[in-house]
Amino acid sequence: MEFGLAALATQLLVGLSRAMILFVVCAGLSFVLGVLRVPNIAHGSLYMIGAFAAFSVFSLFGGSSTGFWLALILGPLVVALVGLIAERVLFCRLYQREHLMLLLFTFALMLIFGDLVKLIWGAEYRSITTPPFLAGSIPIFGLPFPRYSLFLLIIGPLVAISLWLFTNKTKIGKIARAAAVDMEMVGAVGINVSWVFATAFVIGCYLAGLGGALVAPTVSVTLGMDHTIIIEAFLIVTIGGLGNMWGALVGSLIFGVTQSFGVLFWPQFAIVFPYAAVVIVLILRPTGLLKSVW
Amino acid sequence: MLRIEGIDKSFGEFMAVNGAGLNVGKGELVAVIGPNGAGKTTLFNLITGQLKSDRGKVIFMEEDITKLPPYQICKKGIARSFQIVNIFHRLTVFGNVQVAVLSQQRRSNRLFHPAKNMAVEETNNILESVGLLDKAHSIAGLLSHGDQRILELAIALGNEPMLLILDEPTAGMSPEETIATMDLIKGLAERRGLTILFCEHDMDVVFGIAQSIMVMHQGRTLIQGSPEEVRQNEEVLKAYLGGD
Amino acid sequence: MFTRISNWKSLWPPIAIFIVLLILPPIIPRFYTYIIALIFVTGLLAMSLNMVVGHGMIFQFHHGVFYGVGAYTVALMLTKTSLPIWVGFVAGPIVAAVVGLLIGWFCVRLTRLYFAMLQISLGSLIWTIVHRWYSFTGGDDGVYGIAMPSILSSLNSRYYFVLIILVICLILMYLILKSPFGASLLAIRDNPQRCEAVGINVRRHQLGAIVIATFFAGIAGVLFVVLEKFVHPDLLFWVLSLEIFIMCLLGGWFTFAGPLLGAAIMVGLRTFVSIYTEYWTLILGVILILIIFFLPEGVMGYLLEKFGPQASKVEERSSI
Repeated sequence: MEFGLAALATQLLVGLSRAMILFVVCAGLSFVLGVLRVPNIAHGSLYMIGAFAAFSVFSLFGGSSTGFWLALILGPLVVALVGLIAERVLFCRLYQREHLMLLLFTFALMLIFGDLVKLIWGAEYRSITTPPFLAGSIPIFGLPFPRYSLFLLIIGPLVAISLWLFTNKTKIGKIARAAAVDMEMVGAVGINVSWVFATAFVIGCYLAGLGGALVAPTVSVTLGMDHTIIIEAFLIVTIGGLGNMWGALVGSLIFGVTQSFGVLFWPQFAIVFPYAAVVIVLILRPTGLLKSVW
Repeated sequence: MLRIEGIDKSFGEFMAVNGAGLNVGKGELVAVIGPNGAGKTTLFNLITGQLKSDRGKVIFMEEDITKLPPYQICKKGIARSFQIVNIFHRLTVFGNVQVAVLSQQRRSNRLFHPAKNMAVEETNNILESVGLLDKAHSIAGLLSHGDQRILELAIALGNEPMLLILDEPTAGMSPEETIATMDLIKGLAERRGLTILFCEHDMDVVFGIAQSIMVMHQGRTLIQGSPEEVRQNEEVLKAYLGGD
Repeated sequence: MFTRISNWKSLWPPIAIFIVLLILPPIIPRFYTYIIALIFVTGLLAMSLNMVVGHGMIFQFHHGVFYGVGAYTVALMLTKTSLPIWVGFVAGPIVAAVVGLLIGWFCVRLTRLYFAMLQISLGSLIWTIVHRWYSFTGGDDGVYGIAMPSILSSLNSRYYFVLIILVICLILMYLILKSPFGASLLAIRDNPQRCEAVGINVRRHQLGAIVIATFFAGIAGVLFVVLEKFVHPDLLFWVLSLEIFIMCLLGGWFTFAGPLLGAAIMVGLRTFVSIYTEYWTLILGVILILIIFFLPEGVMGYLLEKFGPQASKVEERSSI
């Protein structure tokens, strides 16, 4: 277990870049949670669809660089569309019901999406390759650091800033923020609450899809991605503070970094570290580290 | 029996209760009155432990119960009813009172004996004394509002308390129901030797049966005394006619 | 306590069902025997969850952990130690209940949503440890080929064993729910604040309910090992926990035997749909959506509303 400062620093950066993908996904989950007050269990499935959709776009363009960028752009849009359809056709009819029913509905969606992915794409592992200038690694602190991770470290903050601008500077965003705090008031002021929900949900789906598209080059795109990401996303969103975007960031950072250190200190049990960190946070601060919208 | 000294409770900037004091003697019927927002319900919540006070003491039977949680305060012999009907909607009327009786008998945790055969006599006695025996097997949530308020009272009686605290027992009742309920309460106090502390808006009710009245205004105790003393007190008149 | 059963007539249906179940194994194909036994195990698990979720409104969203702990306890004791098999059988529920006590103690201080999240996080932590600790738990592979004592070597004998244990557990659960403990739990479900005011230590009571429920979940875990003779980390995965919860909702979580019915429906459907298609989860999802839209009280609730006594919405029923 001997390693120097360089190894530690590199691992830290790897953890941060991993956290960026988590953040993109969790920001979406948190956003929907804040506005609709429902934990979307299907959020992981949307992430998976994003990854598979990105793969399809990528293959459609022969696996070229153009294909990669188009996958990154179109993949999330496909997921957003899927989310919009699900919301308008079925989900919106349930808004009057108790939250338990909404939760169950999202679970049913997860089941359906999971099998739909199997139906459409089959059960084999898929993968995407990045364009040459994002492939390979560059030396940081004298150790090889994947260029794609660097790319993620740029994308993550970009998403955070865009989201912040959206919720604070655009009209729709501000309405969504207000709706998260007081839905009735928003309705009373004459705004169509149903469309606010739809918008928030679609944005959440887009972010899930974006997370999936971003992760596609780094892992094997497989069935079962939905099951693992959703539990991690839920835990992250909870430790960050429900509905709080910065909380999602903090939570993702904690998760990603502890996992990286797990890899460094005890590789076999690397994944245990972030889960243990979550448990510790929740025991000490059950409502999350940052203020929740609830 | 019950003594409150210098109780403070604030919610953020707002001081709901400010140095209130109260004395309840054994067997007395004491009323707390005051304009809306005077802090009466907050005071009751402080006594029975639903809220924690910032400062001050609540002393019951020479024991400091200020910091105790609600269930322990109940075990010491204080039972209360709530301003907003706080019954077990999905249980039957019998079941509602039985929960309290079983708790009183320290048998709430018995695991393998059918509950429906336990504490039947005591529960039925209470139901009979409040006039709800014929409705014993109705679902509590389906009763009329007036009956629910009486059930509210009956549950508190199930604890066989020494001190019974009633938070606006006749709220929302018609004049006939109000008179009936207050007679019931007075009768119970006499027959069972209960000490009763209650708060009310209806002045007829209060001056009709209370032996000692404490007046609250803006979280403070203005005065506690006999009905005549209170009726003639200038500050009280100002509080009621002036401010609100 | 048996002498005071006032309503003998209401016992005919369950007794009849029991007799039918007793005579089935020699008559039906082996596969069906296996499936019915699986329903017994899953049903017990769902019933154990409903003790806290349906009857106590405690958001026990990772109940599967205790099932898995019970199963792994007996599996590991049988394969790694030479202790008598019956020790493992007893240890399973006890360890599960101890874990339930520990996790419950942390969670009971919190209200619903946060209770659920803390439990999910603790349960997931246990899952990751079991999943990764290859040398001890077999990791992702699980533990296979667990040997059963010779009395339990045939499928039929295991069927009867599971059935007997199930019936005993059901009777115990019924007695517990009808006892003052159960009545207080129902009251807490309705109005925890009033329970406190009436002298009940709500947290301790809920913790007690959790320990009881996890004990039964541990028994279900042991029965799983008896029937299937293997364990796998999936038993501890959150998806299973959610599935059990859905069984409770599907069957009707405010009734006594609803979860059993829900388990029967889920396991039965899964088995038979899987014969025709590999997309069983898709079908399940669609069924769930149909239930959400058309049968919000669950199947049992719906049946009772249509065919049962009028006051059946409330817990004071004595019949199943």
